Amino acid sequence: MIRLRRVVKQFRDGGVPHTVLDGLDLDVAAGELVTVVGASGSGKSTLLYLAGALDADFEGEAAVDGEDLRALSADARAAFRSRSVGFVFQSFNLLPALSALDNVTLPAFFRERGAGGRTAVAEAGHAALARVGLTAKAGQRPPQLSGGERQRVALARALFARPRVLLADEPTGNLDAGSGAAVIELFQELAASGLAVLVVTHEERVTRAGTRALRLEGGRLQ
Amino acid sequence: MRSGGLLRLAAKNLAADRTGALLGGAASAVGAAALVFFVALGLGVGDATRRMFPGDARLVEVVPPAVSLGEVLGGGRLDDETVARLRALPGAAGAFPRLNLRVPIAAMRAPEGLRVNWPPALVVQIPAVGVPRALLADDLAPGAAFDDPGPGGAVPVVISRRLVEIYNRTIAPSWNLRKLPPPEALTGLELPVRVGFSMLRQKTEDRVEDGRLRVAGFSDRVPLYAAAVPLETVRRLHREYGKADQGYSAVTVLAARPDDAPSLGAAVRRMGLAVDEGERGAAERVGAAVALTTGALALLALLMCALAALAIAQSLVASVRARAKDLAVLVALGARPRDVRRLLMLEAALVGLSGGVLGGAVARLSAVAADGALQRALPDFPLRPETLFAFPAWVYLFGVAVAVVSAALGALAPAAAAARIEPARVLS
Repeated sequence: MIRLRRVVKQFRDGGVPHTVLDGLDLDVAAGELVTVVGASGSGKSTLLYLAGALDADFEGEAAVDGEDLRALSADARAAFRSRSVGFVFQSFNLLPALSALDNVTLPAFFRERGAGGRTAVAEAGHAALARVGLTAKAGQRPPQLSGGERQRVALARALFARPRVLLADEPTGNLDAGSGAAVIELFQELAASGLAVLVVTHEERVTRAGTRALRLEGGRLQ
Repeated sequence: MRSGGLLRLAAKNLAADRTGALLGGAASAVGAAALVFFVALGLGVGDATRRMFPGDARLVEVVPPAVSLGEVLGGGRLDDETVARLRALPGAAGAFPRLNLRVPIAAMRAPEGLRVNWPPALVVQIPAVGVPRALLADDLAPGAAFDDPGPGGAVPVVISRRLVEIYNRTIAPSWNLRKLPPPEALTGLELPVRVGFSMLRQKTEDRVEDGRLRVAGFSDRVPLYAAAVPLETVRRLHREYGKADQGYSAVTVLAARPDDAPSLGAAVRRMGLAVDEGERGAAERVGAAVALTTGALALLALLMCALAALAIAQSLVASVRARAKDLAVLVALGARPRDVRRLLMLEAALVGLSGGVLGGAVARLSAVAADGALQRALPDFPLRPETLFAFPAWVYLFGVAVAVVSAALGALAPAAAAARIEPARVLS
């Protein structure tokens, strides 16, 4: 599902090139929950955004859900993200002005016409919220929710479009032990249902839950 | 992107940033209000001016020149041949001679059937000018004739619309007379007159006869100071009273289009004749002054709209900076760069729209207040305007459109900056 080969990613820091990913290879199959650990600044998030088609400025090969990411135009990458990828962030990144349901259905705001009516979108949103156990919180805004609930809303948003790939960046970093455990359990369920799940994390409890744990060091996975 | 979804998202974003939206909307409303107010003022003053000086832009009044070298050189006299030449000028749709009646006519009694407390000693001298029916055909009352009735018949007259108002506003109050009903109610009335009689004894003709004038209509093409009667009636009276033919007093040339009037005037002057600018000139000068002033004020209002756009731009720049992460999330969820740009533009347009609508309402209320103050401040005078403003629907739409467009223009740069957001960098 995720196949990266010889990926090189450089940043320029004050004009000086800085290699973050240096010939990285990665395979994540459908049904796998792969965790990536590494020191701060080791390039974990970069790897995630690259696999999620948020960053196309790299060398090497990247194929996700059958799409050659480097061959896609900016618009095609956007459509790909909307269709195939779900993101979960450490700081949730919910829009505070929107209700939980609106946050969940946000990807539908950017779809072309013909992608289903408002009612169908709302039903899909409610279904996604039900999957994370937050049906009763649909009308509440993020500031009215707890940290764990916010992350579950973010997870529901990632699942709303029925993606093939779920990418999570420190998803339990801001959660207490109980909430974090619930989220980890959800990731396991999602992987079991056939999603390819790639999680970058610092936390051992997450790596223990994964089917594989990788370490990013020196720009490569070990 | 779905337009409905985009609109909903923009509205929710604005609701979340109420302060910024209110400030932008207020700035936009001030600009739109000023624009609508000044444009409506210009239109209203223009209407009032046209009412005071109802000159038809297509009419060119041709008069004999003040100084003429005589008929030998082909200038001076206005006769049928000259009228025919004027009619044949390029751009002329018609030429209508006017002939001043040189036989005095005076009224000493009120029109029959009209309740007016006519003072016993009041004598009103009535200047009359003969015109062809075609000049006034559109202004005649339905079924009213405008032909010479022959000796003893009631002579049809058409008078200036403004004369009734001037009488009601000035003459009637100062002489303590009853006001006249609206012009439409006066058509068909007959005024007993003495033909050949003048208030000045030496001007009175040897023969003075009773006659009648019948009101056949009201027209802006009739001079304020005179009653228009059929041309044939004037000719007949001149024959009956032995008045020599001195040629026409004036010729009204009707241009095919208002744009043709200046070239027609030039052609008339080349024929050795003069053009009486009269009221038309005054109307044009007043109109030009009004247009210039309105234009300057509208320009000022446009500047205010531009400033409002800058305020919106500044607010959006701050908003984009503060919402960089939110915008990056939108991109991560599938928004294209142009979707982000459109979202920001739509937010600005919504601010402009609400500002434009509010501005239109503020302008209307301000106009009502200004009219109220004006009516209290100005004395009553003929043709005094009830309002100095005109608010056709397009003025509101124009104000809203300018507010929306200026807000959208102000949003161009911040929206472009938002569209360039690199989500991988912002979200890291």
